[in-house]
Amino acid sequence: MILHILNRSPGTSLVYRDTLSAMGPEDRLLLIEDGVLGALTSQVRHFQSVEGRLFALREDLASRGLEGRCDETVQVVDVDGFVTLTEEADKTVSWF
Amino acid sequence: MRYGLLVQGAPYSSQASHSALRFATALIARGHQLECVFFYHDGVYNASRLAAPPQDEPHLVDAWRGLNAGHGTQLQVCIAAALRRGLLDERESARHGKTGHSIEPPFELTGLGQLVDLGNQVDRLVTFAP
Repeated sequence: MILHILNRSPGTSLVYRDTLSAMGPEDRLLLIEDGVLGALTSQVRHFQSVEGRLFALREDLASRGLEGRCDETVQVVDVDGFVTLTEEADKTVSWF
Repeated sequence: MRYGLLVQGAPYSSQASHSALRFATALIARGHQLECVFFYHDGVYNASRLAAPPQDEPHLVDAWRGLNAGHGTQLQVCIAAALRRGLLDERESARHGKTGHSIEPPFELTGLGQLVDLGNQVDRLVTFAP
């Protein structure tokens, strides 16, 4: 299982499409930095194909004032959870 | 586990340095070993010894130094990316006939081969890019 890390919002970059097309059936996706905008209810439809395997970094949601607006299908993790995700993955791939 | 981080974002231009530093602190707190932070592309600006941010802001260069002092983390800087951006240690400064230097230990100028080695040595290599 690979952990994919995306730091771009689907509203400003199409790199999320490359990310999704590169993901295997067990792979997970963590949204960080401006990528957390993709976790909002209004944006999360872009990530429908990885529902249940989609994570967002709590600190980056909080620093943007978006913690309460994250879609309920997204699993919110703090930076400790980020480390755990890297422990559980065989490797990580960053998309930017 | 043994970790390595690859930082490609310049301080104060993107969030990459802050994200990497926060991740570094968290993984060490969880008992992992952070072998090395490798600075590449604009990430080399993280190594500038002359960085003087306002006192009420995080001092990224000092924070990286702290990882070396407290945890023995190697701080490696891509020499090709650094030299063309005016980041030279004493030796390279003298070699190029320059006055003064902008990189000092614990940061060390190394080549991309070191990054490849790092990728082979550690259990996880995590990239933080702009």
